[in-house]
Amino acid sequence: MVKVNKAARQLKVLARDPVLVALIVVIFSAVAIFVVYPLVKVLIASLQVRGVWTLETFGQLGERRLYRSAIVNSLSVSTLVGLLGVVIGYIAAFVLTRLDVPGRRVLHYLTMLPIISPPFVSAVSILFLFGLNGVVTKQILGLQDFSIYGFHGVVASQVFTFAPIAYLALRGVLASINPVLEDAALNVGATGWQTFWKVTFPLSLPGIASAFLIVFIESLSDFGNPLVLAGAAFPMLAPQAYLEITGSFNLSRGAMLAVVLLIPSLTAFAIQRYYLGKRQYVTVTGKPSASASRIVSPPVKWALYSIVVLFAAIVTLFYGVIVIGAFTRVWGFDYTPTLAHFAYVFDVGFNAVTDTLIIALITTPLSGLLGMIVAFLIVRQKFPGHGALEFGSILSYAVPGTVVGIGYILAFNSPPFVMTGTLAILVLCFLFRYVPVGIQSGVAVLRQIDPSIEEAARNLGAGTLTTFRKVTLPLIAPAFFTGLVYAFVRAMTAISAAIFLVSANWNLMTVQILNQVGSGRLGVAAAYSLVVIGIVLVAIVIIQAGVTRMTRHSASVKV
Amino acid sequence: MNKFVRSLAVAASLALLGGTAVQALTVYSSVDEENSASILRAFTEATGVQVDMVFLSSGPALSRIEAEQNNPQADVWFGAPSENHILAHERGLTQGYISANADGLQDQFRDADGFWHAIYTNPLAFGVRTDILAERGAPAPTSWADLTNSAYSGLIQMPSPQSSGTAYAVVLTLREIMGEDAAFEFMRELNPNIQTYTQSGTAPSGALSVGETPIAIQFSPGFLKLKDEGFPVDVVFPTEGVGYEVAAMSILNGAQNLEDAGTLVDWMTSAEGQQALVDAKTYFLPVRGDVNAGEGVPSLDEIELIAYDPAYASENRQRLVDRWADDVLGQ
Repeated sequence: MVKVNKAARQLKVLARDPVLVALIVVIFSAVAIFVVYPLVKVLIASLQVRGVWTLETFGQLGERRLYRSAIVNSLSVSTLVGLLGVVIGYIAAFVLTRLDVPGRRVLHYLTMLPIISPPFVSAVSILFLFGLNGVVTKQILGLQDFSIYGFHGVVASQVFTFAPIAYLALRGVLASINPVLEDAALNVGATGWQTFWKVTFPLSLPGIASAFLIVFIESLSDFGNPLVLAGAAFPMLAPQAYLEITGSFNLSRGAMLAVVLLIPSLTAFAIQRYYLGKRQYVTVTGKPSASASRIVSPPVKWALYSIVVLFAAIVTLFYGVIVIGAFTRVWGFDYTPTLAHFAYVFDVGFNAVTDTLIIALITTPLSGLLGMIVAFLIVRQKFPGHGALEFGSILSYAVPGTVVGIGYILAFNSPPFVMTGTLAILVLCFLFRYVPVGIQSGVAVLRQIDPSIEEAARNLGAGTLTTFRKVTLPLIAPAFFTGLVYAFVRAMTAISAAIFLVSANWNLMTVQILNQVGSGRLGVAAAYSLVVIGIVLVAIVIIQAGVTRMTRHSASVKV
Repeated sequence: MNKFVRSLAVAASLALLGGTAVQALTVYSSVDEENSASILRAFTEATGVQVDMVFLSSGPALSRIEAEQNNPQADVWFGAPSENHILAHERGLTQGYISANADGLQDQFRDADGFWHAIYTNPLAFGVRTDILAERGAPAPTSWADLTNSAYSGLIQMPSPQSSGTAYAVVLTLREIMGEDAAFEFMRELNPNIQTYTQSGTAPSGALSVGETPIAIQFSPGFLKLKDEGFPVDVVFPTEGVGYEVAAMSILNGAQNLEDAGTLVDWMTSAEGQQALVDAKTYFLPVRGDVNAGEGVPSLDEIELIAYDPAYASENRQRLVDRWADDVLGQ
């Protein structure tokens, strides 16, 4: 009763602002159609075989040992990658934000490099270095029978690919821990180790949990690394789902495996959100308090530092391999310098380059704007279904890309929404898949800003939209920047959802890289990767400049 | 009645043609664009017949020929697997022409009534890095049975039947040679020797070139190319036999330039035309036993070819791939 009254009251307030009502309705329906509906379709497809309701496909989980071992293999890889990724990410974040060590800036950029790279960079480098004919394994160590294929190969490659994501997530958390708390513990006689376990670690626990979640889900849905490195005896879930759909055209089995992928991710998401979400002690403000931590002794400090340097060195090595691979004829056989691989990219494969750019350029501003609008609605407005909107809009964050891709082909290949093979389906997929990062950073920043500034604008007669555009948006420029960069980077590098949606008309560079790796043309794949990295770096600089200009204009409204 | 009208129309158009200049031969080509251009260029150089080529992959080509059957726009359908040409014959889209050179082709490379002739074939083969095997002191395999040798543990790449038609051809070949149960037992035993099942049917030759694997299984062109480019690669056709794909050509019903169409079939099935495949570096295997694909590559007379029923293959695909996934991958 009270609830109904509250909703009615909220509706009455809303009715005074029709623009806002329209906005809420549009966003609600968009989330329903492009986030929830595809997931429902996946669920339905997994329960149907040729139009008949059945549990047959799920029965195969029990019958087919292939599926059982795929589940076990995928979960053990994801868990280990999640743990290792978080450990490495935590150490890197701690060293680079809390310790006074040389070369922090360079190490920061090197650690982040894998994030802006297309998939397969690490898998291809690992083959070049540790494969049967690898530089390290064969040519330096002279090993004859070392095999990189299987569990260890996939884990190594994924840790390298995803640990930087954990680093980025934990960086803000660690930077915002007030060193006064640690100092207080040390002053009352705690050892450095005790201080870490009793103060620093608990404070960063929510951040650790969310970093683990991101890495776990990324690892579970990744199929680039398994496709190259899993080998013959190590079946995994995401590649199996992909093969069932693209190889055997068996949608119900692919959908069933997608549902299986979805269960652990959603569980992890729920735990993170409803259990740890309430224990959020730290606000991520993005304003690092410049403070050197005193809890580590010099030997420990330099030991941790050397781990970070080692990671950065491996990054450098991997990218060096890619550069050499892109500019020489055949890795391991003929190191004659050549531009032939780039000629191929800009000749045969140039359509994919322009297609990817067009898609990224459309997606990026839409995603940035949508993220800020939703964040604004969540933090500043009250309306019925508020919680549902928040949950729905960040749901796709917890859904493996493979599942989203399968959901989109199921949902948008038949009336009322026919979009397969179009530009729209790729843009919408990227938009709704990657907007949660923009939303979350928008929410975080917005909560730090006193609403009285916006109220002042409203009192002076500005409408909701004007207030949003002239006051809110400039204030949340840093979050806006994060949203834009993330949207662009992912549009350039994502593959697990997009692989199901590309067509002859609209193709992506990442899918081209997969095809080149698949056909064994590793030089061309390396060249494509360098092109992607180059474009992303240029774009980040441009976006940064654009956002800086936007905030300079509004310096007068800065608090 | 209808037939009468059509023959009248044909007669009329032939009469008209008689008075006009020589018309170019119109070819719908389903061989990839680059290779068909170089093969047909060699044809024009050899015979002086001008060719207009339209590139269409096999599916679209067949539907277009069917749509145009009352008013044919092309003379020859060049390329596409022989099964498609059998289909076109059954639908009455092509006409018989027995080339004088057809005697040089084995039976599986031509239709007895001349409705289609093979252009080239791509058998399955092993690509073997002789240098790596020598270094390891392992012998080069010469048969399917050799592949289960424990010396090759984790050293063989082949495509996955779950995603690749090439790999499905391997399954069908082994099934023809050994019988189904024995074939799956063999593939189970082979599994420890497989390094990885690749997604694409052409990936193993790529891995072979960078030395990532010393033994690769796929259709032969990828291996012939590596050998030709100077890689230390041997192309081995296993002694028990190999499955193969055949690209064929047929003359369309109502072809306006029948004489030149016959010339193309004659030339393509001649030793000269087959040699052109080799000279143009298509890496397709000639279908005449008297033409060699290159130094060190066995000619077709020395390769044991294994045929399987295409209808059976398509009906049983899901079942055989599932059995492979259960028995081999999920063991």
